[in-house]
Amino acid sequence: MSWRANALPSEIAGLDIVVAIRRDEGGELLIRDLQRTRAKVRHVWPLPERLPEDADVIFCDLAPGLANRIPWVPGEPKAAFVVIVPTLPAPDLEMLRNCAPDAVLHRPLTTHAVLSSLILARAHFTYSQRLRSRIEKLDETLRSIRGVERAKAILMAKRNMREDEAYQFMRRQAMTRRVSISAVAAVVVDTEEVLG
Amino acid sequence: MAVIENTQLRGTLLAIEEINAAGGINGRELVPLIYDPASESAAFGRYAKRLMVEDHVTTIFGCYTSSSRKAVLPVVERLNGLLWYPTLYEGFEFSPNIIYTGAAPNQNSVALCRYLMDHYGPRFYFVGSDYVYPRESNRIMRDVLRNNGGEVVGEVYLNLRAKRRDFQPVIRDISELRPDVIFSTVVGDSTVHLYQSYADAGFDPKVMPIASLTTTEAEVCAMGFDVGEGHITAAPYFQCIGGERNSSFVKRYKKRYGESEPTNMCVEAAYFQVHVFARTLQQTNSMETEILRPMVLGSTFDAPQGPISINPACSHADLWTRIGRVNRRGQFEVLQQSLSPVLADPYLIGYGRSMVSGQG
Repeated sequence: MSWRANALPSEIAGLDIVVAIRRDEGGELLIRDLQRTRAKVRHVWPLPERLPEDADVIFCDLAPGLANRIPWVPGEPKAAFVVIVPTLPAPDLEMLRNCAPDAVLHRPLTTHAVLSSLILARAHFTYSQRLRSRIEKLDETLRSIRGVERAKAILMAKRNMREDEAYQFMRRQAMTRRVSISAVAAVVVDTEEVLG
Repeated sequence: MAVIENTQLRGTLLAIEEINAAGGINGRELVPLIYDPASESAAFGRYAKRLMVEDHVTTIFGCYTSSSRKAVLPVVERLNGLLWYPTLYEGFEFSPNIIYTGAAPNQNSVALCRYLMDHYGPRFYFVGSDYVYPRESNRIMRDVLRNNGGEVVGEVYLNLRAKRRDFQPVIRDISELRPDVIFSTVVGDSTVHLYQSYADAGFDPKVMPIASLTTTEAEVCAMGFDVGEGHITAAPYFQCIGGERNSSFVKRYKKRYGESEPTNMCVEAAYFQVHVFARTLQQTNSMETEILRPMVLGSTFDAPQGPISINPACSHADLWTRIGRVNRRGQFEVLQQSLSPVLADPYLIGYGRSMVSGQG
Protein backbone atom coordinates (compact mmCIF):
# COMPACT_ATOMS: atom_id res chain seq x y z
CA MET A 1 0.00 0.00 0.00
CA SER A 2 1.60 3.24 -1.04
CA TRP A 3 1.02 6.42 0.90
CA ARG A 4 3.37 8.87 2.52
CA ALA A 5 2.91 10.28 6.01
CA ASN A 6 3.80 13.77 4.83
CA ALA A 7 0.88 13.66 2.38
CA LEU A 8 -1.59 13.23 5.27
CA PRO A 9 -3.86 16.11 6.33
CA SER A 10 -2.07 17.67 9.29
CA GLU A 11 -4.98 17.18 11.68
CA ILE A 12 -4.45 13.43 11.73
CA ALA A 13 -0.67 13.38 11.83
CA GLY A 14 1.24 12.78 15.05
CA LEU A 15 -1.77 12.14 17.28
CA ASP A 16 -1.79 10.41 20.64
CA ILE A 17 -3.75 7.21 19.98
CA VAL A 18 -4.88 4.40 22.28
CA VAL A 19 -5.54 1.08 20.53
CA ALA A 20 -7.47 -1.62 22.37
CA ILE A 21 -7.54 -4.50 19.91
CA ARG A 22 -6.73 -8.19 19.82
CA ARG A 23 -3.21 -8.49 18.41
CA ASP A 24 -4.10 -10.65 15.40
CA GLU A 25 -3.46 -9.86 11.76
CA GLY A 26 -5.99 -6.98 11.76
CA GLY A 27 -4.60 -5.66 15.04
CA GLU A 28 -1.06 -5.61 13.67
CA LEU A 29 -2.22 -3.81 10.52
CA LEU A 30 -4.08 -1.16 12.52
CA ILE A 31 -1.13 -0.46 14.82
CA ARG A 32 1.33 -0.34 11.90
CA ASP A 33 -0.84 2.01 9.82
CA LEU A 34 -1.42 4.34 12.75
CA GLN A 35 2.29 4.42 13.54
CA ARG A 36 2.96 5.42 9.94
CA THR A 37 0.88 8.58 10.56
CA ARG A 38 3.62 9.43 13.10
CA ALA A 39 1.07 8.80 15.86
CA LYS A 40 2.17 7.87 19.35
CA VAL A 41 0.34 4.55 19.62
CA ARG A 42 -0.36 2.90 22.97
CA HIS A 43 -1.63 -0.66 22.68
CA VAL A 44 -3.71 -2.00 25.55
CA TRP A 45 -4.91 -5.61 25.67
CA PRO A 46 -6.78 -7.38 27.16
CA LEU A 47 -9.52 -4.77 27.19
CA PRO A 48 -9.17 -2.86 30.51
CA GLU A 49 -12.12 -2.34 32.86
CA ARG A 50 -11.81 1.36 32.14
CA LEU A 51 -10.22 2.63 28.94
CA PRO A 52 -7.62 5.41 29.31
CA GLU A 53 -9.00 8.87 28.46
CA ASP A 54 -5.79 10.87 28.00
CA ALA A 55 -5.59 10.43 24.21
CA ASP A 56 -6.69 12.17 21.03
CA VAL A 57 -8.27 9.07 19.55
CA ILE A 58 -9.24 5.66 20.94
CA PHE A 59 -9.67 2.60 18.69
CA CYS A 60 -11.43 -0.26 20.43
CA ASP A 61 -12.77 -3.73 19.59
CA LEU A 62 -16.53 -3.99 20.08
CA ALA A 63 -16.96 -6.26 23.10
CA PRO A 64 -19.83 -7.13 25.44
CA GLY A 65 -20.25 -4.37 28.04
CA LEU A 66 -18.00 -1.98 26.12
CA ALA A 67 -20.19 1.04 27.02
CA ASN A 68 -19.27 0.52 30.68
CA ARG A 69 -15.54 0.57 29.96
CA ILE A 70 -15.72 4.01 28.36
CA PRO A 71 -14.23 6.44 30.90
CA TRP A 72 -16.75 9.27 30.35
CA VAL A 73 -20.55 9.63 30.45
CA PRO A 74 -22.27 9.83 27.04
CA GLY A 75 -22.32 13.39 25.77
CA GLU A 76 -19.08 14.38 27.48
CA PRO A 77 -16.40 12.54 25.46
CA LYS A 78 -12.74 13.24 26.15
CA ALA A 79 -11.37 11.68 22.93
CA ALA A 80 -12.49 10.70 19.44
CA PHE A 81 -13.78 7.14 19.65
CA VAL A 82 -13.63 4.48 16.93
CA VAL A 83 -15.29 1.10 17.41
CA ILE A 84 -13.97 -1.90 15.49
CA VAL A 85 -16.78 -4.24 14.49
CA PRO A 86 -16.01 -7.94 13.95
CA THR A 87 -17.08 -9.91 10.88
CA LEU A 88 -18.94 -12.34 13.12
CA PRO A 89 -21.05 -12.45 15.21
CA ALA A 90 -23.46 -9.73 14.12
CA PRO A 91 -22.81 -6.56 16.14
CA ASP A 92 -25.01 -5.64 19.10
CA LEU A 93 -26.48 -2.54 17.47
CA GLU A 94 -27.90 -1.07 20.65
CA MET A 95 -24.52 -1.41 22.33
CA LEU A 96 -22.89 0.23 19.34
CA ARG A 97 -25.25 3.21 19.57
CA ASN A 98 -24.79 3.50 23.32
CA CYS A 99 -21.01 3.70 22.89
CA ALA A 100 -21.66 6.82 20.77
CA PRO A 101 -18.58 6.32 18.53
CA ASP A 102 -17.37 8.98 16.12
CA ALA A 103 -16.59 6.34 13.47
CA VAL A 104 -16.85 2.62 12.92
CA LEU A 105 -14.20 0.34 11.43
CA HIS A 106 -15.22 -3.04 10.02
CA ARG A 107 -13.10 -6.16 9.90
CA PRO A 108 -11.30 -7.28 7.82
CA LEU A 109 -9.29 -4.09 8.20
CA THR A 110 -7.61 -2.32 5.30
CA THR A 111 -5.27 0.66 5.28
CA HIS A 112 -7.76 2.82 3.43
CA ALA A 113 -10.51 2.04 5.91
CA VAL A 114 -8.19 2.76 8.86
CA LEU A 115 -7.22 6.19 7.54
CA SER A 116 -10.80 7.06 6.56
CA SER A 117 -12.11 6.19 10.00
CA LEU A 118 -9.27 8.15 11.64
CA ILE A 119 -9.96 11.37 9.78
CA LEU A 120 -13.75 11.07 10.10
CA ALA A 121 -13.62 10.32 13.82
CA ARG A 122 -11.24 13.19 14.47
CA ALA A 123 -13.32 15.62 12.38
CA HIS A 124 -16.60 14.54 13.96
CA PHE A 125 -15.19 14.73 17.48
CA THR A 126 -13.66 18.19 17.09
CA TYR A 127 -16.81 19.42 15.36
CA SER A 128 -19.03 18.35 18.25
CA GLN A 129 -16.56 19.93 20.71
CA ARG A 130 -16.82 23.19 18.77
CA LEU A 131 -20.61 23.00 18.83
CA ARG A 132 -20.58 22.36 22.58
CA SER A 133 -18.35 25.33 23.19
CA ARG A 134 -20.55 27.48 20.97
CA ILE A 135 -23.62 26.48 23.00
CA GLU A 136 -21.77 27.29 26.24
CA LYS A 137 -20.82 30.72 24.93
CA LEU A 138 -24.37 31.34 23.71
CA ASP A 139 -25.75 30.42 27.13
CA GLU A 140 -23.33 32.81 28.81
CA THR A 141 -24.14 35.57 26.30
CA LEU A 142 -27.87 35.16 26.86
CA ARG A 143 -27.35 35.59 30.58
CA SER A 144 -25.05 38.60 30.24
CA ILE A 145 -27.16 40.41 27.67
CA ARG A 146 -29.63 41.46 30.38
CA GLY A 147 -26.83 43.26 32.21
CA VAL A 148 -25.76 45.01 29.02
CA GLU A 149 -29.32 46.18 28.37
CA ARG A 150 -29.60 47.49 31.89
CA ALA A 151 -26.28 49.35 31.64
CA LYS A 152 -27.40 50.83 28.33
CA ALA A 153 -30.58 52.15 29.97
CA ILE A 154 -28.57 53.69 32.80
CA LEU A 155 -26.17 55.44 30.40
CA MET A 156 -29.08 56.74 28.37
CA ALA A 157 -30.87 58.11 31.43
CA LYS A 158 -27.90 59.45 33.39
CA ARG A 159 -25.53 60.56 30.65
CA ASN A 160 -28.12 61.58 28.10
CA MET A 161 -26.61 59.21 25.55
CA ARG A 162 -28.50 57.91 22.55
CA GLU A 163 -28.92 54.16 22.31
CA ASP A 164 -26.09 53.65 19.82
CA GLU A 165 -23.82 56.01 21.79
CA ALA A 166 -24.38 53.95 24.93
CA TYR A 167 -23.37 50.74 23.14
CA GLN A 168 -20.36 52.46 21.56
CA PHE A 169 -19.27 53.80 24.93
CA MET A 170 -19.32 50.30 26.44
CA ARG A 171 -17.54 48.80 23.44
CA ARG A 172 -14.77 51.40 23.60
CA GLN A 173 -14.33 50.89 27.33
CA ALA A 174 -14.17 47.14 26.80
CA MET A 175 -11.48 47.51 24.14
CA THR A 176 -9.38 49.98 26.12
CA ARG A 177 -9.56 47.93 29.29
CA ARG A 178 -9.29 44.61 27.48
CA VAL A 179 -12.34 43.13 29.21
CA SER A 180 -15.68 41.85 27.89
CA ILE A 181 -18.59 44.19 27.24
CA SER A 182 -20.60 42.38 29.88
CA ALA A 183 -17.83 43.13 32.42
CA VAL A 184 -18.06 46.83 31.53
CA ALA A 185 -21.84 46.65 31.83
CA ALA A 186 -21.50 45.09 35.29
CA VAL A 187 -19.29 48.00 36.40
CA VAL A 188 -21.81 50.55 35.08
CA VAL A 189 -24.66 48.84 36.93
CA ASP A 190 -22.65 48.49 40.16
CA THR A 191 -21.54 52.12 40.03
CA GLU A 192 -25.11 53.23 39.58
CA GLU A 193 -26.09 51.17 42.60
CA VAL A 194 -23.36 52.65 44.81
CA LEU A 195 -23.57 56.28 43.65
CA GLY A 196 -27.27 56.32 42.83
CA MET B 1 -31.02 11.64 50.19
CA ALA B 2 -32.22 15.00 51.52
CA VAL B 3 -35.76 15.22 52.95
CA ILE B 4 -36.98 17.18 49.93
CA GLU B 5 -35.49 14.72 47.43
CA ASN B 6 -37.22 11.92 49.27
CA THR B 7 -40.58 13.69 48.99
CA GLN B 8 -40.07 13.90 45.22
CA LEU B 9 -39.56 10.15 45.12
CA ARG B 10 -42.77 9.73 47.12
CA GLY B 11 -44.75 11.92 44.71
CA THR B 12 -43.41 9.91 41.78
CA LEU B 13 -44.26 6.56 43.38
CA LEU B 14 -47.75 7.69 44.40
CA ALA B 15 -48.56 8.57 40.79
CA ILE B 16 -47.16 5.26 39.53
CA GLU B 17 -49.24 3.33 42.06
CA GLU B 18 -52.37 5.23 41.06
CA ILE B 19 -51.79 4.50 37.40
CA ASN B 20 -51.18 0.82 38.06
CA ALA B 21 -54.21 0.55 40.34
CA ALA B 22 -56.32 1.96 37.51
CA GLY B 23 -55.14 -0.84 35.20
CA GLY B 24 -51.76 0.44 34.06
CA ILE B 25 -51.14 1.83 30.62
CA ASN B 26 -52.90 -0.02 27.82
CA GLY B 27 -53.01 -3.03 30.11
CA ARG B 28 -49.35 -2.88 31.08
CA GLU B 29 -47.93 -2.10 34.50
CA LEU B 30 -45.46 0.73 35.13
CA VAL B 31 -42.40 -0.67 36.92
CA PRO B 32 -40.06 1.94 38.41
CA LEU B 33 -36.30 1.37 38.53
CA ILE B 34 -34.86 3.43 41.36
CA TYR B 35 -31.28 4.51 42.04
CA ASP B 36 -30.12 6.77 44.86
CA PRO B 37 -27.10 8.89 43.82
CA ALA B 38 -26.85 10.03 47.47
CA SER B 39 -27.11 13.73 46.49
CA GLU B 40 -23.73 13.55 44.70
CA SER B 41 -23.86 15.37 41.36
CA ALA B 42 -21.38 13.26 39.37
CA ALA B 43 -23.20 10.10 40.45
CA PHE B 44 -26.36 11.41 38.75
CA GLY B 45 -24.52 11.31 35.40
CA ARG B 46 -23.26 7.79 36.05
CA TYR B 47 -26.67 6.49 37.08
CA ALA B 48 -28.33 8.15 34.09
CA LYS B 49 -25.86 6.29 31.86
CA ARG B 50 -26.57 3.05 33.70
CA LEU B 51 -30.34 3.52 33.36
CA MET B 52 -30.10 4.16 29.64
CA VAL B 53 -27.29 1.75 28.70
CA GLU B 54 -27.79 -1.22 31.00
CA ASP B 55 -31.42 -1.00 32.01
CA HIS B 56 -32.64 0.18 28.57
CA VAL B 57 -34.66 2.97 30.14
CA THR B 58 -35.53 5.92 27.90
CA THR B 59 -37.50 8.10 30.32
CA ILE B 60 -36.06 9.29 33.62
CA PHE B 61 -37.89 11.12 36.42
CA GLY B 62 -35.80 12.99 38.96
CA CYS B 63 -33.09 15.44 39.99
CA TYR B 64 -33.59 18.10 42.64
CA THR B 65 -30.54 20.35 42.38
CA SER B 66 -29.45 22.13 39.22
CA SER B 67 -26.03 20.48 39.51
CA SER B 68 -27.65 17.06 39.33
CA ARG B 69 -29.75 18.10 36.31
CA LYS B 70 -26.65 19.42 34.58
CA ALA B 71 -24.94 16.07 35.17
CA VAL B 72 -27.80 14.14 33.56
CA LEU B 73 -28.31 16.58 30.67
CA PRO B 74 -25.40 15.50 28.40
CA VAL B 75 -26.34 11.85 28.84
CA VAL B 76 -30.00 12.24 27.84
CA GLU B 77 -29.02 14.57 25.02
CA ARG B 78 -26.43 12.21 23.54
CA LEU B 79 -28.50 9.03 23.89
CA ASN B 80 -31.77 10.86 23.17
CA GLY B 81 -33.60 10.10 26.38
CA LEU B 82 -36.17 12.21 28.21
CA LEU B 83 -35.58 13.66 31.69
CA TRP B 84 -38.60 14.93 33.61
CA TYR B 85 -37.31 17.53 36.07
CA PRO B 86 -39.81 18.45 38.83
CA THR B 87 -37.94 21.26 40.57
CA LEU B 88 -38.00 25.04 40.33
CA TYR B 89 -34.68 26.27 38.96
CA GLU B 90 -32.83 29.37 37.74
CA GLY B 91 -34.01 29.25 34.11
CA PHE B 92 -31.82 30.09 31.13
CA GLU B 93 -31.81 26.55 29.83
CA PHE B 94 -33.66 24.68 27.14
CA SER B 95 -32.75 21.13 26.34
CA PRO B 96 -34.87 19.22 23.84
CA ASN B 97 -34.36 16.20 26.10
CA ILE B 98 -35.77 17.69 29.31
CA ILE B 99 -39.35 18.44 30.36
CA TYR B 100 -39.21 21.10 33.09
CA THR B 101 -42.21 20.93 35.45
CA GLY B 102 -41.00 23.17 38.31
CA ALA B 103 -41.20 26.95 38.27
CA ALA B 104 -38.92 29.14 36.13
CA PRO B 105 -37.92 32.57 37.56
CA ASN B 106 -40.74 34.42 35.82
CA GLN B 107 -43.19 32.15 37.63
CA ASN B 108 -41.88 32.79 41.15
CA SER B 109 -39.01 35.34 41.58
CA VAL B 110 -40.62 38.27 39.81
CA ALA B 111 -43.88 38.21 41.77
CA LEU B 112 -42.10 37.44 45.04
CA CYS B 113 -39.73 40.38 44.65
CA ARG B 114 -42.57 42.83 44.04
CA TYR B 115 -44.63 41.50 46.93
CA LEU B 116 -41.73 41.78 49.36
CA MET B 117 -40.84 45.30 48.28
CA ASP B 118 -44.44 46.44 48.61
CA HIS B 119 -44.94 44.93 52.05
CA TYR B 120 -41.54 44.97 53.77
CA GLY B 121 -39.15 47.32 52.00
CA PRO B 122 -36.39 47.55 49.40
CA ARG B 123 -33.29 46.34 51.32
CA PHE B 124 -32.62 42.63 50.69
CA TYR B 125 -30.00 40.35 52.21
CA PHE B 126 -29.09 37.26 50.13
CA VAL B 127 -28.08 34.01 51.81
CA GLY B 128 -27.66 30.85 49.75
CA SER B 129 -26.05 27.43 49.43
CA ASP B 130 -22.85 27.49 47.45
CA TYR B 131 -23.65 25.94 44.06
CA VAL B 132 -25.09 26.88 40.70
CA TYR B 133 -28.79 27.45 41.53
CA PRO B 134 -28.42 30.04 44.33
CA ARG B 135 -25.83 32.10 42.45
CA GLU B 136 -27.81 32.14 39.21
CA SER B 137 -31.11 32.65 41.00
CA ASN B 138 -29.64 35.60 42.91
CA ARG B 139 -28.32 37.09 39.71
CA ILE B 140 -31.93 37.21 38.48
CA MET B 141 -33.33 38.39 41.82
CA ARG B 142 -30.73 41.18 41.95
CA ASP B 143 -31.76 42.19 38.43
CA VAL B 144 -35.48 42.26 39.28
CA LEU B 145 -34.79 44.05 42.57
CA ARG B 146 -32.70 46.80 40.95
CA ASN B 147 -35.29 47.33 38.27
CA ASN B 148 -37.83 48.03 40.99
CA GLY B 149 -35.52 50.36 42.86
CA GLY B 150 -34.38 47.96 45.57
CA GLU B 151 -30.87 47.05 46.71
CA VAL B 152 -28.85 44.06 47.92
CA VAL B 153 -27.25 44.96 51.25
CA GLY B 154 -25.43 41.66 51.76
CA GLU B 155 -24.74 38.42 49.95
CA VAL B 156 -23.29 35.24 51.41
CA TYR B 157 -22.98 31.59 50.32
CA LEU B 158 -22.52 28.59 52.58
CA ASN B 159 -21.55 25.00 51.92
CA LEU B 160 -24.47 22.76 50.90
CA ARG B 161 -23.89 20.73 54.05
CA ALA B 162 -23.57 23.77 56.31
CA LYS B 163 -24.16 23.08 60.01
CA ARG B 164 -25.86 25.16 62.65
CA ARG B 165 -22.66 26.94 63.74
CA ASP B 166 -21.90 28.01 60.14
CA PHE B 167 -24.93 30.29 60.26
CA GLN B 168 -23.71 32.28 63.30
CA PRO B 169 -21.63 34.78 61.27
CA VAL B 170 -24.60 35.26 58.93
CA ILE B 171 -26.92 36.01 61.82
CA ARG B 172 -24.41 38.54 63.23
CA ASP B 173 -24.17 40.18 59.81
CA ILE B 174 -27.96 40.41 59.58
CA SER B 175 -28.37 41.92 63.02
CA GLU B 176 -25.88 44.66 62.08
CA LEU B 177 -27.32 45.40 58.64
CA ARG B 178 -31.00 45.07 59.57
CA PRO B 179 -32.30 44.40 56.04
CA ASP B 180 -36.04 44.51 55.23
CA VAL B 181 -36.01 40.99 53.81
CA ILE B 182 -33.71 37.96 54.02
CA PHE B 183 -33.90 36.23 50.65
CA SER B 184 -32.78 32.64 51.13
CA THR B 185 -31.63 30.20 48.48
CA VAL B 186 -30.35 27.80 51.11
CA VAL B 187 -31.56 24.37 50.06
CA GLY B 188 -31.71 20.86 51.48
CA ASP B 189 -31.23 19.94 55.08
CA SER B 190 -29.27 23.06 56.09
CA THR B 191 -32.44 25.13 55.51
CA VAL B 192 -33.51 24.07 58.99
CA HIS B 193 -30.33 25.53 60.53
CA LEU B 194 -30.90 28.92 58.92
CA TYR B 195 -34.46 29.28 60.22
CA GLN B 196 -33.57 27.92 63.67
CA SER B 197 -30.61 30.29 63.97
CA TYR B 198 -32.92 33.13 62.97
CA ALA B 199 -35.42 32.12 65.66
CA ASP B 200 -32.69 31.81 68.31
CA ALA B 201 -31.50 35.33 67.49
CA GLY B 202 -35.00 36.58 68.37
CA PHE B 203 -35.68 38.25 65.02
CA ASP B 204 -39.29 39.01 64.09
CA PRO B 205 -40.70 37.63 60.80
CA LYS B 206 -43.36 40.35 60.85
CA VAL B 207 -40.75 43.01 60.11
CA MET B 208 -37.88 41.02 58.55
CA PRO B 209 -39.11 37.71 57.11
CA ILE B 210 -37.02 35.06 55.41
CA ALA B 211 -38.34 34.75 51.86
CA SER B 212 -37.55 31.72 49.74
CA LEU B 213 -38.37 29.81 46.59
CA THR B 214 -37.31 26.46 48.03
CA THR B 215 -38.59 26.30 51.60
CA THR B 216 -41.62 24.03 51.47
CA GLU B 217 -43.93 22.30 53.95
CA ALA B 218 -41.27 19.56 54.21
CA GLU B 219 -38.59 21.96 55.53
CA VAL B 220 -41.10 23.72 57.79
CA CYS B 221 -42.05 20.34 59.24
CA ALA B 222 -38.37 19.59 59.90
CA MET B 223 -37.58 22.96 61.52
CA GLY B 224 -40.72 23.10 63.70
CA PHE B 225 -43.90 25.05 63.02
CA ASP B 226 -43.07 27.75 65.58
CA VAL B 227 -39.71 28.34 63.88
CA GLY B 228 -41.23 28.57 60.41
CA GLU B 229 -44.23 30.71 61.29
CA GLY B 230 -44.43 34.07 59.51
CA HIS B 231 -41.84 33.32 56.83
CA ILE B 232 -42.65 33.55 53.13
CA THR B 233 -42.27 31.31 50.07
CA ALA B 234 -43.31 31.70 46.43
CA ALA B 235 -44.35 28.46 44.72
CA PRO B 236 -46.88 27.10 42.23
CA TYR B 237 -48.36 24.86 44.91
CA PHE B 238 -48.99 24.71 48.66
CA GLN B 239 -50.79 21.90 50.46
CA CYS B 240 -53.57 24.19 51.72
CA ILE B 241 -54.61 25.81 48.42
CA GLY B 242 -57.99 24.06 48.45
CA GLY B 243 -59.81 22.69 45.43
CA GLU B 244 -61.26 19.24 45.04
CA ARG B 245 -58.42 17.91 42.93
CA ASN B 246 -55.93 18.99 45.58
CA SER B 247 -57.83 17.70 48.60
CA SER B 248 -58.15 14.23 47.12
CA PHE B 249 -54.43 14.33 46.25
CA VAL B 250 -53.50 15.34 49.79
CA LYS B 251 -55.78 12.65 51.23
CA ARG B 252 -54.19 9.91 49.12
CA TYR B 253 -50.68 11.16 49.94
CA LYS B 254 -51.37 11.07 53.67
CA LYS B 255 -53.02 7.68 53.47
CA ARG B 256 -49.92 6.34 51.74
CA TYR B 257 -47.20 8.06 53.79
CA GLY B 258 -48.82 9.01 57.10
CA GLU B 259 -51.13 11.68 58.51
CA SER B 260 -48.30 13.93 59.65
CA GLU B 261 -46.60 14.00 56.23
CA PRO B 262 -47.37 17.19 54.30
CA THR B 263 -47.34 17.51 50.52
CA ASN B 264 -45.27 20.30 48.93
CA MET B 265 -44.51 21.87 45.54
CA CYS B 266 -41.85 19.26 44.75
CA VAL B 267 -44.15 16.36 45.59
CA GLU B 268 -46.85 17.90 43.46
CA ALA B 269 -44.65 18.46 40.38
CA ALA B 270 -43.09 14.99 40.73
CA TYR B 271 -46.62 13.61 40.97
CA PHE B 272 -48.33 15.42 38.12
CA GLN B 273 -45.45 14.93 35.67
CA VAL B 274 -45.80 11.14 35.93
CA HIS B 275 -49.49 11.50 35.12
CA VAL B 276 -48.71 13.71 32.11
CA PHE B 277 -46.21 11.08 30.97
CA ALA B 278 -48.73 8.25 31.47
CA ARG B 279 -51.48 10.00 29.56
CA THR B 280 -49.10 10.62 26.67
CA LEU B 281 -47.81 7.06 26.73
CA GLN B 282 -51.38 5.82 26.54
CA GLN B 283 -51.70 7.62 23.22
CA THR B 284 -48.29 6.82 21.72
CA ASN B 285 -47.91 3.33 23.15
CA SER B 286 -44.19 3.94 22.60
CA MET B 287 -41.43 4.97 24.98
CA GLU B 288 -39.27 6.29 22.17
CA THR B 289 -38.31 9.90 22.81
CA GLU B 290 -38.86 10.87 19.18
CA ILE B 291 -42.48 9.74 19.41
CA LEU B 292 -43.22 10.61 23.03
CA ARG B 293 -41.82 14.15 23.19
CA PRO B 294 -43.94 15.77 20.45
CA MET B 295 -47.06 14.40 22.15
CA VAL B 296 -45.98 15.71 25.57
CA LEU B 297 -45.48 19.22 24.22
CA GLY B 298 -48.74 21.12 24.32
CA SER B 299 -50.48 18.58 26.54
CA THR B 300 -52.58 19.76 29.45
CA PHE B 301 -53.39 18.27 32.83
CA ASP B 302 -55.64 19.04 35.75
CA ALA B 303 -52.93 19.04 38.43
CA PRO B 304 -53.47 19.55 42.18
CA GLN B 305 -52.22 23.18 41.76
CA GLY B 306 -54.84 23.73 39.02
CA PRO B 307 -54.83 23.20 35.26
CA ILE B 308 -51.31 23.22 33.82
CA SER B 309 -49.87 22.68 30.36
CA ILE B 310 -46.50 21.85 28.86
CA ASN B 311 -45.50 24.88 26.82
CA PRO B 312 -44.48 23.63 23.37
CA ALA B 313 -42.19 26.61 22.76
CA CYS B 314 -39.79 25.79 25.58
CA SER B 315 -40.86 22.42 27.10
CA HIS B 316 -41.35 24.09 30.48
CA ALA B 317 -44.71 23.83 32.26
CA ASP B 318 -47.09 26.80 32.43
CA LEU B 319 -47.71 26.96 36.18
CA TRP B 320 -49.53 28.97 38.83
CA THR B 321 -47.76 31.70 40.78
CA ARG B 322 -48.57 31.81 44.48
CA ILE B 323 -47.08 33.57 47.50
CA GLY B 324 -47.65 31.95 50.86
CA ARG B 325 -46.86 32.65 54.50
CA VAL B 326 -46.33 29.90 57.07
CA ASN B 327 -48.99 29.74 59.77
CA ARG B 328 -48.95 28.15 63.23
CA ARG B 329 -49.83 24.72 61.82
CA GLY B 330 -46.85 24.66 59.44
CA GLN B 331 -49.05 25.36 56.44
CA PHE B 332 -48.78 28.17 53.93
CA GLU B 333 -51.60 30.68 53.78
CA VAL B 334 -51.88 32.09 50.29
CA LEU B 335 -51.32 35.86 50.32
CA GLN B 336 -51.49 36.35 46.58
CA GLN B 337 -51.95 34.23 43.47
CA SER B 338 -52.11 34.54 39.70
CA LEU B 339 -55.53 34.55 38.02
CA SER B 340 -54.46 31.83 35.59
CA PRO B 341 -51.37 29.72 34.86
CA VAL B 342 -48.35 31.88 34.03
CA LEU B 343 -46.65 31.07 30.72
CA ALA B 344 -43.13 29.79 31.23
CA ASP B 345 -40.46 32.24 30.06
CA PRO B 346 -37.17 30.59 31.06
CA TYR B 347 -35.03 33.25 29.36
CA LEU B 348 -37.08 36.13 30.82
CA ILE B 349 -37.60 37.47 27.34
CA GLY B 350 -40.82 39.25 28.26
CA TYR B 351 -39.29 40.81 31.39
CA GLY B 352 -36.30 42.64 29.96
CA ARG B 353 -37.15 45.95 28.42
CA SER B 354 -40.40 46.65 30.23
CA MET B 355 -38.64 46.58 33.58
CA VAL B 356 -35.76 48.67 32.29
CA SER B 357 -37.97 51.34 30.81
CA GLY B 358 -40.10 51.40 33.93
CA GLN B 359 -36.97 52.37 35.83
CA GLY B 360 -35.67 55.04 33.43
